[in-house]
Amino acid sequence: MKIEFEGEALEARPGESLAATLTAHGIRSFRTTERGAERGVFCGMGVCQDCLVEVDGKPNQRACTVKVDRPMKVRREGSGRAPAASGPAAGRPPITIEEIPVERPQVLVVGAGPGGLAAAYAARLAGAEVLVLDEGSAPGGQYFKQCSAAGVAPPDAQHQEGRRLIDDVLGSGVTVRSNASVWGAFRPLEFAATKPGGSFLVQPEQAIIATGAFDRGWPVPGWTLPGVMTTGAAQTLWRTARRLPGKRVLIAGNGPLNLQLAVELVAGGADVVAVVEAAPAVGVRRVREIAAMLANAPRLVADGVRYLSTCRRAGVRLINGSVLTSVVPHSGGLRATIAGRETASFDVDVVCLGYGFHPSNELLRALGCEHAFDPEQRRLVTVRDTRGKTSVDGVWALGDCTTLGGARVGQAEGTLAGFAAARALGCALSAEAVRLEAQAAADTARHRRFQRALWRMYRMDESLRVRPTGDTVMCRCEEVTYGQVEAALAEGATSPSEIKQETRLGMGRCQARYCGPALETFLAEQTGRSQDETSGFAPRVPVKPVSVGDLSNPAGA
Amino acid sequence: MHSPTTSGPLPRDIQTVVVGGGILGLCVAGFLAEEGREVAIIDAGRPEGTTTNAGSLHVQMQSRFMRMHPDQVPALESGLHLYPKAVEFWFELQRHLDADFGLKASGGLMVAESREQLDFLAKKAERERSLGLDSKILDRDELDQIAPYLGPAVVGAELCADEGRLDALKANTALRRWVRRVGVMVTGETSVDRVSRDGGRFKLDTSRGTVRAATLVIAAGPGSLTLAEPFGLTLPVESEPLHMNITEPTDLFIGHLVQHADRMITVKQLSSGHVVIGGGWPADLSPSEDYAAVRLSSIIGNTSLAQHIVPAIGRLRIIRTWAGINTPTGGPGILGPIHGAPNAFLAIPGEAGYTLGPLSARLVADTVLGRRPTEDLAPFSPSRFR
Repeated sequence: MKIEFEGEALEARPGESLAATLTAHGIRSFRTTERGAERGVFCGMGVCQDCLVEVDGKPNQRACTVKVDRPMKVRREGSGRAPAASGPAAGRPPITIEEIPVERPQVLVVGAGPGGLAAAYAARLAGAEVLVLDEGSAPGGQYFKQCSAAGVAPPDAQHQEGRRLIDDVLGSGVTVRSNASVWGAFRPLEFAATKPGGSFLVQPEQAIIATGAFDRGWPVPGWTLPGVMTTGAAQTLWRTARRLPGKRVLIAGNGPLNLQLAVELVAGGADVVAVVEAAPAVGVRRVREIAAMLANAPRLVADGVRYLSTCRRAGVRLINGSVLTSVVPHSGGLRATIAGRETASFDVDVVCLGYGFHPSNELLRALGCEHAFDPEQRRLVTVRDTRGKTSVDGVWALGDCTTLGGARVGQAEGTLAGFAAARALGCALSAEAVRLEAQAAADTARHRRFQRALWRMYRMDESLRVRPTGDTVMCRCEEVTYGQVEAALAEGATSPSEIKQETRLGMGRCQARYCGPALETFLAEQTGRSQDETSGFAPRVPVKPVSVGDLSNPAGA
Repeated sequence: MHSPTTSGPLPRDIQTVVVGGGILGLCVAGFLAEEGREVAIIDAGRPEGTTTNAGSLHVQMQSRFMRMHPDQVPALESGLHLYPKAVEFWFELQRHLDADFGLKASGGLMVAESREQLDFLAKKAERERSLGLDSKILDRDELDQIAPYLGPAVVGAELCADEGRLDALKANTALRRWVRRVGVMVTGETSVDRVSRDGGRFKLDTSRGTVRAATLVIAAGPGSLTLAEPFGLTLPVESEPLHMNITEPTDLFIGHLVQHADRMITVKQLSSGHVVIGGGWPADLSPSEDYAAVRLSSIIGNTSLAQHIVPAIGRLRIIRTWAGINTPTGGPGILGPIHGAPNAFLAIPGEAGYTLGPLSARLVADTVLGRRPTEDLAPFSPSRFR
């Protein structure tokens, strides 16, 4: 299939994302910001809103979520195009909320990752009527995302495991709706969503929130440059389309996902120059953690050992106790500098950042679910019981959107929450269901133990955190630097809201997902104030940008 | 965003205290401090309590309101002359502070979808002209010349030349910096529970202790009701939670403040390219009544109406909504000295309070300073509510 980018014809794989097509042709800069900065793929999952392009005359389309399913004309974007020139001649007739269709499933599951799918399956098995809404173009979430591009290598074990779960769910009579963005949650229990071309509401009896997490930012000079992307973004390019983010790649971060990416990119033929891990090298002192991990998930430990040996065989340098400190453009590519135990520079095409995740808890917070602040991880944790019950009646939460635990924990917690929600409806569990529930409880505990040991091993030295320079961008959308925030503080602003008003930080399309946590950390350092569950930005609807045209169009009409 | 941690030290004894740090409170305090007064602002620090304004500069009368409440039209007309002056004063203040408020007074359009609506606007425009406003009626062809962004449903509009918009974030930031610069003490997260006389001074019981002051200015929006009670006043102020939406930025294409002859809506584009959609759609008060929460039906109804009038908005995405508390007074504002209570003043601007804010504050500040204000404040006297 052929698409057109700025008048040039490009070969595309049907089913892949537009970002994958452009990346495969070496195109990394997709648009220019208001201040003249170049931007491209960063998060690769529809969160950062940096990869906006114009598709067939429609502005502000996220290249990472647009599927190439037809020949299309794509153009780079400035800060935004005049919709007066390209907009529709007539609007739709004005509507009121009464005209928006309402669905009333017994159980609504938001998110079709491992946890959401497991929850849907369990609730259905117990006899409940279940609707799953997911913003992706196909179920699977981040961990079980399927290969969507036609004519590429066969699925690997992780793909296949996900496929089995997806097929089980679809075969069980659960309704799974992809491309459905839940943009708002309202008390007591109402959800507002759009699907392509239409708006609808869901008023479930029970709601299970399984919205996962997104990669944290790593604000250092140059982190907004095209070619600097999250580990998740690079992995999505590879796992959904078998496209490499670039030829020469540096991976920097904290955690085992970075190693998995290195192995995948090496298999695809990339030259991964190094994996720079913030945690110190694993030594004999870690024998307790390794024993705990082996006892709880020996297969995952074996995977880890395999990743390490593959990297060594491929000549990938494994550097521990060091972090990325800056990226600058350099002879058509990037020059990335690291510091810590080792100081070095690498000339590469692409830098992948994998410094952990932030929970997507916006819907839970909008519903008023209680959260606590985890000072060590510097993020909110949803308060729930062992079955995922939150402080709000009828709202269940599981997996990475509550507190990070990875796909295995999410899947096991999903089974528990699915059964629990069905019980709340009055469904009786069969003997088989009771057995699965007990198994899931054991799995949850086992994988939590594994995760605790894993992250003790991967704990990074806090002194390695980079002190950003004044010209480092804190807010990607509104292009606000650390220097501007410092200036606002010097002018007398003291609270996040005053800084927001003075600088426009946090007011852009990504809705403060990257700069919010960065500002919190920065303020805590600058003012010595400790963070708690009330600091930072309160959740606002829409939790994802929502098109006025879609809002004004009742679904199905 | 949660409430600020701006609680500075609470003054114990001060010359002048201003209760409320909204547009009125900030400006009154700034003007007084510029004249050498020692001034403190005490604000309850409500989350989003001061963000009702979305940057519209209103001048013309609301035809929808006139049709619903014809009995209140005389009251509306009695205060109308203040509006163009208030817009002019915004520009003066911008020059005075050497700041950029993102001000633009390129006119406001009140659009009609039917002959009948347009006829009503024509009568309204005639009446407004007789009261000194620059208003005229445009037919569809004339509209196409100046506002090609309007949809086909619009048959004509009233253009009021004095209307416009500003960027409230920029303005509020500049004002906050100004009051700090001229030495105003600003204390947030502190509610004033009771005001009483203590000898020749006022005694304010606050959530953080007692404050004494020689002069008291009440600029607390709906909170003014209980503060004014000890002076024998029953103010007709209400809490009106209102809903607002803002789109992602795009190239500038909407040049006017756009309103509708018969429906609640304002549409304008800020200098930053964001389109703000508001105009009086309801929000909800929290159970504690101290902050407002957005309402789903307003998001849908308000934005859907916006794309009907300006179709290109259908292409844009809403990136944020918020709610604020408006303070209707059932007529003109409440400005000036409280008779029988020397050195106590009220500063509540009335309809389109943000537009009227700085000028109203100037007038109140002048009375506090013992000067003759540039406008006759009799129609705005607090004594109306004794």
